[in-house]
Amino acid sequence: MRARAASRGARVPGTIVMKVAGELDGVPVEDTFAEAFGMRATRLVITGETRAWARHAAVAATGFATSVIACGCEAGIERELSVRETPDGRPGISILIFAMSSKDLQKHLERRTGQCVLTCPTTAAFNGVPNEVAHEWLQLGGALRYFGDGWQISKLIGGKRYWRIPVMDGEFVCEEKAGLVKGIGGGNFLILAADGASARSAAERAVAAMRKVRNVILPFPGGVVRSGSKVGSKYKTLIASTNDAYCPTLVGLTRSALPEGAGAVLEIVIDGLDAGSIAKAMDVGIRAACRGGTGAGVVGITAGNYGGKLGPHHFHLKELFA
Amino acid sequence: MSALKFVLRHTPPSAVDVSGLRPALLAGKSRKEITKLPLTGWNEIHRVGDLFSIRGDDAQRVVVDGADERLLRIGAGMEGGELTVVGTAGDYLGESMRSGTIVVRGDVGTFVGAGMRGGRIDVSGNAGAFAGSGRAGTLQGMAGGAIVVRGNAGDRAGDRMRRGLLLIEGNAGDYCASRMLAGTAVVLGRVGIDAGYLMRRGTLILGRSPAELLPTFNHNGWHDLLAIRLLLESLTVHGKRFQSFARSRPSLSRWLGDLGCDGKGEILIALGRL
Repeated sequence: MRARAASRGARVPGTIVMKVAGELDGVPVEDTFAEAFGMRATRLVITGETRAWARHAAVAATGFATSVIACGCEAGIERELSVRETPDGRPGISILIFAMSSKDLQKHLERRTGQCVLTCPTTAAFNGVPNEVAHEWLQLGGALRYFGDGWQISKLIGGKRYWRIPVMDGEFVCEEKAGLVKGIGGGNFLILAADGASARSAAERAVAAMRKVRNVILPFPGGVVRSGSKVGSKYKTLIASTNDAYCPTLVGLTRSALPEGAGAVLEIVIDGLDAGSIAKAMDVGIRAACRGGTGAGVVGITAGNYGGKLGPHHFHLKELFA
Repeated sequence: MSALKFVLRHTPPSAVDVSGLRPALLAGKSRKEITKLPLTGWNEIHRVGDLFSIRGDDAQRVVVDGADERLLRIGAGMEGGELTVVGTAGDYLGESMRSGTIVVRGDVGTFVGAGMRGGRIDVSGNAGAFAGSGRAGTLQGMAGGAIVVRGNAGDRAGDRMRRGLLLIEGNAGDYCASRMLAGTAVVLGRVGIDAGYLMRRGTLILGRSPAELLPTFNHNGWHDLLAIRLLLESLTVHGKRFQSFARSRPSLSRWLGDLGCDGKGEILIALGRL
Protein backbone atom coordinates (compact mmCIF):
# COMPACT_ATOMS: atom_id res chain seq x y z
CA MET A 1 0.00 0.00 0.00
CA ARG A 2 2.81 2.39 0.81
CA ALA A 3 4.44 1.68 -2.56
CA ARG A 4 1.17 2.52 -4.25
CA ALA A 5 0.84 5.82 -2.40
CA ALA A 6 4.41 6.67 -3.30
CA SER A 7 3.74 6.05 -6.93
CA ARG A 8 1.02 8.70 -6.72
CA GLY A 9 3.57 11.18 -5.42
CA ALA A 10 2.51 11.28 -1.72
CA ARG A 11 5.15 12.13 0.94
CA VAL A 12 6.49 8.87 2.37
CA PRO A 13 7.84 9.28 5.92
CA GLY A 14 9.69 5.96 5.87
CA THR A 15 10.29 3.62 8.79
CA ILE A 16 12.91 3.03 11.46
CA VAL A 17 14.45 -0.38 11.02
CA MET A 18 14.86 -2.40 14.19
CA LYS A 19 18.37 -3.68 14.86
CA VAL A 20 17.87 -6.93 16.72
CA ALA A 21 20.04 -7.85 19.69
CA GLY A 22 18.56 -11.30 20.09
CA GLU A 23 15.35 -13.23 20.50
CA LEU A 24 13.43 -14.36 23.57
CA ASP A 25 10.98 -17.17 22.82
CA GLY A 26 11.25 -16.11 19.21
CA VAL A 27 10.41 -12.48 19.96
CA PRO A 28 13.00 -10.06 18.56
CA VAL A 29 14.52 -7.70 21.11
CA GLU A 30 15.94 -4.49 19.72
CA ASP A 31 19.57 -3.61 20.34
CA THR A 32 18.87 -0.39 22.17
CA PHE A 33 18.71 0.90 25.70
CA ALA A 34 16.36 2.43 28.22
CA GLU A 35 17.58 5.81 29.31
CA ALA A 36 16.97 6.72 32.94
CA PHE A 37 17.83 9.69 35.11
CA GLY A 38 18.64 10.42 38.71
CA MET A 39 15.83 11.14 41.15
CA ARG A 40 15.43 11.54 44.87
CA ALA A 41 13.45 8.79 46.55
CA THR A 42 12.12 7.63 49.87
CA ARG A 43 10.31 4.60 51.23
CA LEU A 44 7.40 4.88 53.61
CA VAL A 45 5.99 1.97 55.57
CA ILE A 46 2.29 2.40 56.22
CA THR A 47 0.64 0.13 58.75
CA GLY A 48 -2.93 -0.28 59.91
CA GLU A 49 -5.01 -2.38 62.28
CA THR A 50 -6.03 -4.36 59.20
CA ARG A 51 -4.35 -4.74 55.84
CA ALA A 52 -7.38 -3.15 54.25
CA TRP A 53 -6.89 0.16 56.10
CA ALA A 54 -3.15 0.17 55.39
CA ARG A 55 -3.93 -0.42 51.74
CA HIS A 56 -6.52 2.37 51.64
CA ALA A 57 -3.89 4.80 52.87
CA ALA A 58 -1.18 3.46 50.56
CA VAL A 59 -3.42 3.62 47.50
CA ALA A 60 -4.45 7.17 48.31
CA ALA A 61 -0.88 8.26 49.07
CA THR A 62 0.38 6.94 45.75
CA GLY A 63 -2.52 8.26 43.70
CA PHE A 64 -2.02 10.80 40.90
CA ALA A 65 1.72 10.19 40.95
CA THR A 66 2.43 8.64 37.56
CA SER A 67 4.90 11.14 36.17
CA VAL A 68 6.84 14.09 37.53
CA ILE A 69 5.91 15.93 34.34
CA ALA A 70 2.52 16.90 35.73
CA CYS A 71 2.15 15.18 39.10
CA GLY A 72 5.28 16.56 40.73
CA CYS A 73 6.33 13.14 41.94
CA GLU A 74 6.09 9.48 41.03
CA ALA A 75 4.87 7.02 43.60
CA GLY A 76 3.68 3.48 43.86
CA ILE A 77 3.20 0.51 46.13
CA GLU A 78 6.39 -1.49 46.42
CA ARG A 79 4.99 -4.50 48.24
CA GLU A 80 2.88 -5.75 51.10
CA LEU A 81 4.60 -6.37 54.41
CA SER A 82 3.78 -9.13 56.84
CA VAL A 83 3.26 -8.40 60.53
CA ARG A 84 6.80 -9.63 61.17
CA GLU A 85 8.24 -7.03 58.82
CA THR A 86 6.63 -3.88 60.21
CA PRO A 87 7.88 -1.82 63.16
CA ASP A 88 4.59 -2.12 65.05
CA GLY A 89 3.73 -5.72 64.24
CA ARG A 90 0.68 -4.80 62.19
CA PRO A 91 -0.03 -5.45 58.52
CA GLY A 92 1.75 -2.95 56.33
CA ILE A 93 2.37 -1.65 52.86
CA SER A 94 5.62 -0.09 51.70
CA ILE A 95 5.43 2.68 49.16
CA LEU A 96 8.16 4.48 47.23
CA ILE A 97 7.99 8.15 46.30
CA PHE A 98 10.31 9.73 43.71
CA ALA A 99 10.84 13.39 42.88
CA MET A 100 13.36 15.43 40.93
CA SER A 101 14.86 17.21 43.94
CA SER A 102 15.11 16.83 47.71
CA LYS A 103 12.92 19.89 48.10
CA ASP A 104 10.20 18.45 45.86
CA LEU A 105 10.37 15.13 47.64
CA GLN A 106 10.00 16.82 51.02
CA LYS A 107 6.96 18.70 49.78
CA HIS A 108 5.22 15.67 48.32
CA LEU A 109 6.10 13.37 51.21
CA GLU A 110 4.58 15.85 53.63
CA ARG A 111 1.47 16.46 51.53
CA ARG A 112 0.76 12.86 50.72
CA THR A 113 1.37 11.57 54.23
CA GLY A 114 -0.61 14.44 55.69
CA GLN A 115 -3.59 14.09 53.40
CA CYS A 116 -3.69 10.35 52.79
CA VAL A 117 -2.15 8.57 55.80
CA LEU A 118 -2.82 10.92 58.69
CA THR A 119 -6.43 11.00 57.55
CA CYS A 120 -6.89 7.24 57.29
CA PRO A 121 -8.25 5.40 60.36
CA THR A 122 -5.79 3.36 62.45
CA THR A 123 -2.79 3.94 60.21
CA ALA A 124 0.76 4.85 61.20
CA ALA A 125 3.70 5.93 59.06
CA PHE A 126 7.29 4.77 59.46
CA ASN A 127 10.52 5.45 57.66
CA GLY A 128 11.39 2.53 55.41
CA VAL A 129 14.94 3.54 54.50
CA PRO A 130 17.68 1.94 56.61
CA ASN A 131 20.06 4.40 58.29
CA GLU A 132 23.08 3.04 56.46
CA VAL A 133 21.68 3.84 53.02
CA ALA A 134 19.96 7.15 53.79
CA HIS A 135 21.72 9.94 51.92
CA GLU A 136 19.94 12.65 53.87
CA TRP A 137 16.82 12.97 55.99
CA LEU A 138 13.37 14.31 55.23
CA GLN A 139 10.98 15.60 57.83
CA LEU A 140 8.01 13.27 58.20
CA GLY A 141 6.37 13.50 61.62
CA GLY A 142 8.63 16.47 62.22
CA ALA A 143 6.60 18.34 59.61
CA LEU A 144 3.17 16.84 60.32
CA ARG A 145 3.26 17.30 64.07
CA TYR A 146 1.90 20.82 63.91
CA PHE A 147 -1.49 19.37 63.06
CA GLY A 148 -1.58 18.44 66.74
CA ASP A 149 -2.00 22.13 67.59
CA GLY A 150 0.27 21.88 70.58
CA TRP A 151 -1.15 18.59 71.88
CA GLN A 152 1.31 16.48 69.90
CA ILE A 153 3.71 14.36 71.92
CA SER A 154 7.23 13.42 70.96
CA LYS A 155 8.46 10.02 72.07
CA LEU A 156 11.91 8.53 71.69
CA ILE A 157 11.47 4.77 71.34
CA GLY A 158 14.37 2.46 70.66
CA GLY A 159 16.55 5.34 69.49
CA LYS A 160 13.96 6.67 67.02
CA ARG A 161 11.82 9.71 67.56
CA TYR A 162 8.12 9.37 66.94
CA TRP A 163 5.34 11.92 66.98
CA ARG A 164 1.98 11.15 68.50
CA ILE A 165 -0.62 13.42 67.00
CA PRO A 166 -4.07 13.36 68.58
CA VAL A 167 -6.77 12.50 66.04
CA MET A 168 -10.39 11.53 66.38
CA ASP A 169 -9.77 7.77 66.57
CA GLY A 170 -6.90 8.09 69.02
CA GLU A 171 -3.41 8.99 67.93
CA PHE A 172 -1.61 9.11 64.61
CA VAL A 173 1.89 7.76 65.19
CA CYS A 174 4.52 8.87 62.77
CA GLU A 175 8.29 8.55 62.70
CA GLU A 176 9.99 11.93 62.82
CA LYS A 177 12.20 11.50 59.77
CA ALA A 178 12.30 9.51 56.56
CA GLY A 179 15.49 8.66 54.74
CA LEU A 180 16.24 10.00 51.30
CA VAL A 181 18.16 7.94 48.78
CA LYS A 182 19.44 8.77 45.33
CA GLY A 183 17.10 6.76 43.15
CA ILE A 184 16.63 6.32 39.44
CA GLY A 185 13.55 7.10 37.38
CA GLY A 186 12.62 6.26 33.83
CA GLY A 187 13.71 2.67 33.38
CA ASN A 188 11.41 1.32 30.66
CA PHE A 189 10.66 -1.09 27.88
CA LEU A 190 8.05 -1.23 25.16
CA ILE A 191 6.02 -4.24 24.19
CA LEU A 192 5.24 -4.26 20.48
CA ALA A 193 2.25 -6.52 19.85
CA ALA A 194 0.00 -7.54 17.04
CA ASP A 195 -3.06 -6.02 18.64
CA GLY A 196 -4.30 -4.36 21.82
CA ALA A 197 -5.39 -7.60 23.49
CA SER A 198 -2.00 -9.23 22.95
CA ALA A 199 -0.20 -6.12 24.19
CA ARG A 200 -2.31 -5.92 27.34
CA SER A 201 -1.92 -9.61 28.05
CA ALA A 202 1.87 -9.43 27.68
CA ALA A 203 2.02 -6.28 29.81
CA GLU A 204 -0.03 -7.90 32.55
CA ARG A 205 2.32 -10.88 32.59
CA ALA A 206 5.27 -8.54 32.81
CA VAL A 207 3.78 -6.44 35.61
CA ALA A 208 2.88 -9.52 37.66
CA ALA A 209 6.50 -10.68 37.45
CA MET A 210 7.98 -7.24 38.13
CA ARG A 211 5.85 -6.65 41.21
CA LYS A 212 7.90 -9.34 42.94
CA VAL A 213 11.10 -7.33 42.56
CA ARG A 214 11.96 -5.17 45.57
CA ASN A 215 13.11 -1.54 45.49
CA VAL A 216 11.09 -0.70 42.38
CA ILE A 217 7.68 0.68 41.53
CA LEU A 218 5.72 0.83 38.31
CA PRO A 219 4.05 4.22 38.77
CA PHE A 220 1.51 4.12 35.92
CA PRO A 221 -2.03 2.68 36.11
CA GLY A 222 -1.77 -1.06 36.42
CA GLY A 223 1.95 -0.56 35.90
CA VAL A 224 1.42 0.15 32.22
CA VAL A 225 1.59 3.25 29.99
CA ARG A 226 -0.14 3.55 26.66
CA SER A 227 0.82 7.18 26.12
CA GLY A 228 4.53 6.86 25.67
CA SER A 229 6.03 10.28 25.12
CA LYS A 230 8.85 11.95 23.32
CA VAL A 231 10.64 15.07 24.46
CA GLY A 232 9.15 18.31 23.10
CA SER A 233 6.17 19.18 20.99
CA LYS A 234 5.12 21.35 18.11
CA TYR A 235 3.32 23.35 20.81
CA LYS A 236 5.80 25.51 22.67
CA THR A 237 4.17 25.11 26.07
CA LEU A 238 4.49 21.33 26.10
CA ILE A 239 7.70 19.69 27.23
CA ALA A 240 6.54 16.23 26.14
CA SER A 241 4.13 14.90 23.57
CA THR A 242 2.96 11.61 22.07
CA ASN A 243 5.61 9.22 20.87
CA ASP A 244 4.37 9.26 17.28
CA ALA A 245 6.95 6.75 16.09
CA TYR A 246 5.11 4.05 18.07
CA CYS A 247 1.51 5.12 17.42
CA PRO A 248 -0.11 2.58 15.09
CA THR A 249 -2.68 5.14 13.93
CA LEU A 250 0.10 7.37 12.62
CA VAL A 251 1.79 4.78 10.42
CA GLY A 252 2.06 6.35 7.02
CA LEU A 253 1.98 9.86 8.43
CA THR A 254 5.09 9.87 10.56
CA ARG A 255 8.44 8.09 10.59
CA SER A 256 7.25 4.92 12.26
CA ALA A 257 9.32 2.61 14.42
CA LEU A 258 6.71 -0.13 14.32
CA PRO A 259 7.83 -3.35 12.73
CA GLU A 260 5.65 -5.19 10.28
CA GLY A 261 2.65 -6.74 12.03
CA ALA A 262 2.68 -4.43 15.09
CA GLY A 263 -0.76 -3.01 15.86
CA ALA A 264 -0.42 -1.85 19.49
CA VAL A 265 2.36 -0.83 21.84
CA LEU A 266 2.39 -0.62 25.63
CA GLU A 267 5.22 0.70 27.75
CA ILE A 268 6.24 -0.23 31.27
CA VAL A 269 8.09 2.44 33.24
CA ILE A 270 10.19 1.52 36.26
CA ASP A 271 11.48 3.74 39.05
CA GLY A 272 13.92 2.16 41.43
CA LEU A 273 16.11 2.84 44.41
CA ASP A 274 19.15 1.49 42.56
CA ALA A 275 20.23 0.49 39.06
CA GLY A 276 20.52 -3.20 39.88
CA SER A 277 16.89 -3.44 40.95
CA ILE A 278 15.69 -1.67 37.81
CA ALA A 279 17.80 -3.97 35.63
CA LYS A 280 16.39 -6.98 37.44
CA ALA A 281 12.82 -5.74 37.06
CA MET A 282 13.36 -5.13 33.34
CA ASP A 283 14.85 -8.56 32.92
CA VAL A 284 11.99 -10.46 34.57
CA GLY A 285 9.41 -8.19 32.95
CA ILE A 286 10.68 -8.62 29.41
CA ARG A 287 11.05 -12.37 29.82
CA ALA A 288 7.48 -12.60 31.15
CA ALA A 289 6.15 -10.43 28.32
CA CYS A 290 7.83 -12.64 25.72
CA ARG A 291 6.50 -15.85 27.24
CA GLY A 292 4.43 -17.55 24.56
CA GLY A 293 6.52 -15.97 21.84
CA THR A 294 5.10 -14.51 18.67
CA GLY A 295 2.24 -16.97 18.97
CA ALA A 296 1.02 -14.85 21.91
CA GLY A 297 0.96 -11.83 19.66
CA VAL A 298 4.18 -10.18 20.83
CA VAL A 299 6.16 -9.07 17.80
CA GLY A 300 9.02 -7.18 19.43
CA ILE A 301 10.57 -5.56 22.50
CA THR A 302 12.30 -2.24 22.51
CA ALA A 303 13.07 0.57 24.95
CA GLY A 304 12.84 4.31 25.03
CA ASN A 305 15.82 6.61 25.04
CA TYR A 306 16.80 10.07 23.96
CA GLY A 307 20.10 9.27 22.38
CA GLY A 308 21.82 9.27 25.76
CA LYS A 309 21.31 12.99 26.26
CA LEU A 310 18.70 12.87 29.02
CA GLY A 311 20.04 10.63 31.71
CA PRO A 312 23.23 8.93 32.79
CA HIS A 313 21.68 5.53 33.47
CA HIS A 314 21.46 3.29 30.40
CA PHE A 315 19.87 -0.15 30.59
CA HIS A 316 20.87 -2.02 27.44
CA LEU A 317 18.48 -4.72 26.27
CA LYS A 318 21.37 -6.81 24.94
CA GLU A 319 22.24 -7.46 28.60
CA LEU A 320 19.29 -9.85 28.54
CA PHE A 321 21.44 -12.16 26.46
CA ALA A 322 24.66 -11.68 28.41
CA MET B 1 43.37 -9.41 77.56
CA SER B 2 41.43 -9.63 80.78
CA ALA B 3 39.27 -6.95 82.34
CA LEU B 4 41.08 -4.29 84.36
CA LYS B 5 40.01 -5.09 87.89
CA PHE B 6 40.20 -2.81 90.93
CA VAL B 7 39.76 -4.71 94.17
CA LEU B 8 39.12 -2.51 97.18
CA ARG B 9 41.81 -3.18 99.79
CA HIS B 10 39.98 -1.54 102.69
CA THR B 11 37.10 0.82 103.33
CA PRO B 12 38.34 4.36 102.76
CA PRO B 13 38.27 6.66 105.78
CA SER B 14 35.78 8.95 104.10
CA ALA B 15 34.00 9.42 100.80
CA VAL B 16 36.24 9.26 97.73
CA ASP B 17 35.49 10.43 94.21
CA VAL B 18 36.47 7.48 92.00
CA SER B 19 35.23 8.88 88.70
CA GLY B 20 38.83 8.60 87.49
CA LEU B 21 38.43 4.84 87.20
CA ARG B 22 36.58 5.01 83.92
CA PRO B 23 37.73 3.39 80.67
CA ALA B 24 38.57 6.56 78.73
CA LEU B 25 40.90 7.85 81.46
CA LEU B 26 42.58 4.49 81.99
CA ALA B 27 43.15 3.63 78.33
CA GLY B 28 46.78 3.56 77.29
CA LYS B 29 48.12 3.75 80.83
CA SER B 30 50.41 1.16 82.37
CA ARG B 31 49.47 -0.46 85.63
CA LYS B 32 52.19 1.54 87.32
CA GLU B 33 50.76 4.79 86.03
CA ILE B 34 47.27 3.77 87.08
CA THR B 35 48.51 2.98 90.57
CA LYS B 36 49.67 6.56 90.97
CA LEU B 37 46.49 8.22 89.71
CA PRO B 38 44.97 10.58 92.26
CA LEU B 39 41.51 10.07 93.71
CA THR B 40 40.00 13.02 95.54
CA GLY B 41 38.74 12.26 99.01
CA TRP B 42 37.41 14.35 101.86
CA ASN B 43 40.27 16.82 102.45
CA GLU B 44 42.82 14.34 101.20
CA ILE B 45 44.11 12.85 97.98
CA HIS B 46 44.39 9.09 97.72
CA ARG B 47 46.41 7.19 95.17
CA VAL B 48 44.63 4.41 93.33
CA GLY B 49 47.21 1.98 94.56
CA ASP B 50 46.50 2.97 98.18
CA LEU B 51 42.89 1.92 97.93
CA PHE B 52 42.86 -0.79 95.32
CA SER B 53 44.87 -3.74 94.20
CA ILE B 54 44.89 -3.93 90.42
CA ARG B 55 44.64 -6.91 88.09
CA GLY B 56 44.10 -7.32 84.36
CA ASP B 57 44.88 -4.93 81.55
CA ASP B 58 41.84 -4.26 79.34
CA ALA B 59 40.85 -0.68 80.11
CA GLN B 60 37.68 -0.98 78.03
CA ARG B 61 36.36 -3.48 80.58
CA VAL B 62 36.77 -2.16 84.09
CA VAL B 63 35.66 -3.97 87.23
CA VAL B 64 35.43 -2.38 90.66
CA ASP B 65 35.25 -5.26 93.10
CA GLY B 66 34.20 -4.98 96.71
CA ALA B 67 32.73 -1.54 96.19
CA ASP B 68 31.71 0.44 99.22
CA GLU B 69 29.12 3.16 99.61
CA ARG B 70 31.98 5.60 100.27
CA LEU B 71 33.05 5.25 96.66
CA LEU B 72 31.27 8.15 94.99
CA ARG B 73 30.76 8.98 91.31
CA ILE B 74 31.77 5.57 90.01
CA GLY B 75 31.67 5.79 86.21
CA ALA B 76 30.73 9.47 86.27
CA GLY B 77 31.32 11.08 82.89
CA MET B 78 31.80 7.71 81.19
CA GLU B 79 32.12 7.99 77.41
CA GLY B 80 32.23 4.34 76.42
CA GLY B 81 33.40 0.94 77.52
CA GLU B 82 32.08 -1.35 80.21
CA LEU B 83 32.22 -0.89 83.95
CA THR B 84 31.13 -3.56 86.37
CA VAL B 85 30.69 -2.79 90.04
CA VAL B 86 30.51 -5.58 92.57
CA GLY B 87 29.26 -4.51 95.97
CA THR B 88 27.45 -1.43 97.16
CA ALA B 89 28.16 1.68 95.13
CA GLY B 90 27.99 5.15 96.55
CA ASP B 91 26.10 8.19 95.35
CA TYR B 92 26.20 9.68 91.86
CA LEU B 93 27.10 6.45 90.06
CA GLY B 94 27.17 7.17 86.31
CA GLU B 95 26.56 10.86 86.81
CA SER B 96 26.66 12.72 83.46
CA MET B 97 27.74 9.61 81.58
CA ARG B 98 27.37 9.81 77.80
CA SER B 99 27.78 6.27 76.59
CA GLY B 100 28.94 2.85 77.65
CA THR B 101 27.52 0.39 80.14
CA ILE B 102 27.64 0.22 83.90
CA VAL B 103 26.48 -2.97 85.58
CA VAL B 104 26.11 -2.94 89.35
CA ARG B 105 25.89 -6.23 91.20
CA GLY B 106 24.53 -4.77 94.37
CA ASP B 107 22.87 -1.57 95.52
CA VAL B 108 23.63 2.03 94.60
CA GLY B 109 23.28 5.24 96.54
CA THR B 110 21.41 8.37 95.66
CA PHE B 111 21.45 10.25 92.36
CA VAL B 112 22.33 7.24 90.22
CA GLY B 113 22.62 8.40 86.60
CA ALA B 114 22.06 12.02 87.56
CA GLY B 115 22.23 14.14 84.44
CA MET B 116 23.28 11.24 82.25
CA ARG B 117 22.91 11.74 78.51
CA GLY B 118 23.49 8.29 77.11
CA GLY B 119 24.61 4.77 77.88
CA ARG B 120 23.06 2.22 80.17
CA ILE B 121 23.12 1.57 83.89
CA ASP B 122 21.83 -1.74 85.20
CA VAL B 123 21.51 -2.11 88.97
CA SER B 124 20.75 -5.58 90.29
CA GLY B 125 19.79 -4.29 93.74
CA ASN B 126 18.15 -1.16 95.05
CA ALA B 127 18.77 2.49 94.20
CA GLY B 128 18.62 5.44 96.57
CA ALA B 129 16.64 8.63 96.11
CA PHE B 130 16.74 10.80 93.00
CA ALA B 131 17.57 8.01 90.54
CA GLY B 132 17.78 9.50 87.04
CA SER B 133 17.35 13.02 88.30
CA GLY B 134 19.80 15.90 88.18
CA ARG B 135 22.21 17.26 90.72
CA ALA B 136 20.66 19.64 93.21
CA GLY B 137 20.31 23.01 91.55
CA THR B 138 20.36 21.74 87.98
CA LEU B 139 17.27 22.33 85.87
CA GLN B 140 17.21 18.96 84.14
CA GLY B 141 17.61 15.36 85.18
CA MET B 142 18.80 12.56 82.94
CA ALA B 143 18.56 13.49 79.26
CA GLY B 144 19.24 10.20 77.54
CA GLY B 145 20.23 6.58 77.98
CA ALA B 146 18.62 4.02 80.22
CA ILE B 147 18.70 3.20 83.92
CA VAL B 148 17.37 -0.17 84.96
CA VAL B 149 16.88 -0.87 88.67
CA ARG B 150 16.03 -4.50 89.38
CA GLY B 151 15.13 -3.78 92.99
CA ASN B 152 13.43 -0.78 94.52
CA ALA B 153 14.16 2.91 94.01
CA GLY B 154 13.94 5.67 96.58
CA ASP B 155 11.96 8.89 96.57
CA ARG B 156 11.97 11.37 93.71
CA ALA B 157 13.01 8.84 91.07
CA GLY B 158 13.05 10.60 87.70
CA ASP B 159 12.90 14.09 89.22
CA ARG B 160 13.22 16.68 86.42
CA MET B 161 13.92 13.88 83.96
CA ARG B 162 14.31 15.30 80.44
CA ARG B 163 14.71 12.28 78.17
CA GLY B 164 15.64 8.60 78.30
CA LEU B 165 14.36 5.56 80.13
CA LEU B 166 14.13 4.95 83.86
CA LEU B 167 12.99 1.40 84.51
CA ILE B 168 12.29 0.11 87.99
CA GLU B 169 11.31 -3.50 88.47
CA GLY B 170 10.43 -3.12 92.12
CA ASN B 171 8.77 -0.29 94.00
CA ALA B 172 9.51 3.42 93.84
CA GLY B 173 9.27 5.92 96.66
CA ASP B 174 7.28 9.11 96.99
CA TYR B 175 7.07 11.78 94.30
CA CYS B 176 8.12 9.44 91.50
CA ALA B 177 8.63 11.38 88.24
CA SER B 178 8.22 14.67 90.06
CA ARG B 179 8.82 17.73 87.89
CA MET B 180 9.36 15.41 84.94
CA LEU B 181 10.04 17.31 81.73
CA ALA B 182 9.90 14.42 79.26
CA GLY B 183 11.10 10.87 78.80
CA THR B 184 9.74 7.60 80.07
CA ALA B 185 9.70 6.08 83.54
CA VAL B 186 8.30 2.65 84.28
CA VAL B 187 7.67 1.21 87.73
CA LEU B 188 6.44 -2.35 87.75
CA GLY B 189 5.83 -2.36 91.50
CA ARG B 190 4.13 0.20 93.69
CA VAL B 191 4.85 3.88 93.95
CA GLY B 192 4.61 6.10 97.01
CA ILE B 193 2.52 9.22 97.31
CA ASP B 194 2.07 11.93 94.72
CA ALA B 195 3.53 10.28 91.65
CA GLY B 196 3.94 12.76 88.80
CA TYR B 197 3.98 15.79 91.10
CA LEU B 198 4.43 18.87 88.87
CA MET B 199 5.06 16.65 85.87
CA ARG B 200 5.07 18.76 82.69
CA ARG B 201 5.39 16.17 79.93
CA GLY B 202 6.64 12.61 79.64
CA THR B 203 5.25 9.19 80.38
CA LEU B 204 5.05 7.33 83.68
CA ILE B 205 3.89 3.73 83.39
CA LEU B 206 2.87 1.97 86.58
CA GLY B 207 2.54 -1.77 86.78
CA ARG B 208 0.40 -1.53 89.88
CA SER B 209 -2.24 0.93 90.84
CA PRO B 210 -1.16 3.53 93.43
CA ALA B 211 -3.32 4.10 96.47
CA GLU B 212 -4.28 7.47 95.10
CA LEU B 213 -3.24 9.97 92.48
CA LEU B 214 -2.83 13.69 92.78
CA PRO B 215 -6.10 15.56 92.27
CA THR B 216 -4.36 17.53 89.54
CA PHE B 217 -4.44 14.53 87.20
CA ASN B 218 -7.54 13.95 85.09
CA HIS B 219 -8.70 10.58 83.95
CA ASN B 220 -8.40 10.30 80.18
CA GLY B 221 -9.89 6.83 79.71
CA TRP B 222 -8.70 3.39 78.76
CA HIS B 223 -6.77 3.47 75.54
CA ASP B 224 -4.82 0.94 73.56
CA LEU B 225 -2.36 3.37 72.01
CA LEU B 226 0.01 2.30 69.27
CA ALA B 227 2.83 4.48 70.58
CA ILE B 228 2.58 2.81 73.98
CA ARG B 229 2.54 -0.60 72.34
CA LEU B 230 5.76 0.34 70.52
CA LEU B 231 7.21 1.70 73.73
CA LEU B 232 6.40 -1.43 75.73
CA GLU B 233 7.80 -3.63 72.98
CA SER B 234 11.03 -1.64 73.08
CA LEU B 235 11.35 -2.47 76.80
CA THR B 236 11.56 -6.19 76.18
CA VAL B 237 15.33 -5.94 75.72
CA HIS B 238 15.64 -4.86 79.36
CA GLY B 239 14.86 -8.17 80.97
CA LYS B 240 12.25 -10.82 81.52
CA ARG B 241 10.00 -8.81 83.81
CA PHE B 242 9.66 -6.01 81.30
CA GLN B 243 9.27 -8.58 78.58
CA SER B 244 6.40 -10.33 80.31
CA PHE B 245 4.83 -6.99 81.20
CA ALA B 246 4.94 -5.86 77.57
CA ARG B 247 3.82 -9.16 76.12
CA SER B 248 0.83 -9.29 78.47
CA ARG B 249 -0.53 -6.32 76.48
CA PRO B 250 -1.78 -4.68 79.71
CA SER B 251 -4.91 -2.64 79.58
CA LEU B 252 -3.81 0.82 80.63
CA SER B 253 -5.79 3.52 82.38
CA ARG B 254 -4.50 6.90 81.20
CA TRP B 255 -4.30 9.96 83.43
CA LEU B 256 -3.18 13.37 82.23
CA GLY B 257 -1.45 16.04 84.26
CA ASP B 258 -0.02 17.54 86.29
CA LEU B 259 -2.55 20.26 85.62
CA GLY B 260 -0.80 22.28 88.29
CA CYS B 261 1.78 23.09 85.60
CA ASP B 262 1.92 22.24 81.90
CA GLY B 263 -0.35 19.23 82.21
CA LYS B 264 0.91 17.34 79.18
CA GLY B 265 2.31 14.40 81.07
CA GLU B 266 0.66 11.01 81.15
CA ILE B 267 0.46 8.33 83.80
CA LEU B 268 -0.54 4.93 82.46
CA ILE B 269 -1.69 2.47 85.07
CA ALA B 270 -1.95 -1.24 84.42
CA LEU B 271 -4.57 -3.17 86.36
CA GLY B 272 -5.82 0.25 87.44
CA ARG B 273 -8.59 0.48 89.93
CA LEU B 274 -8.67 4.26 90.03
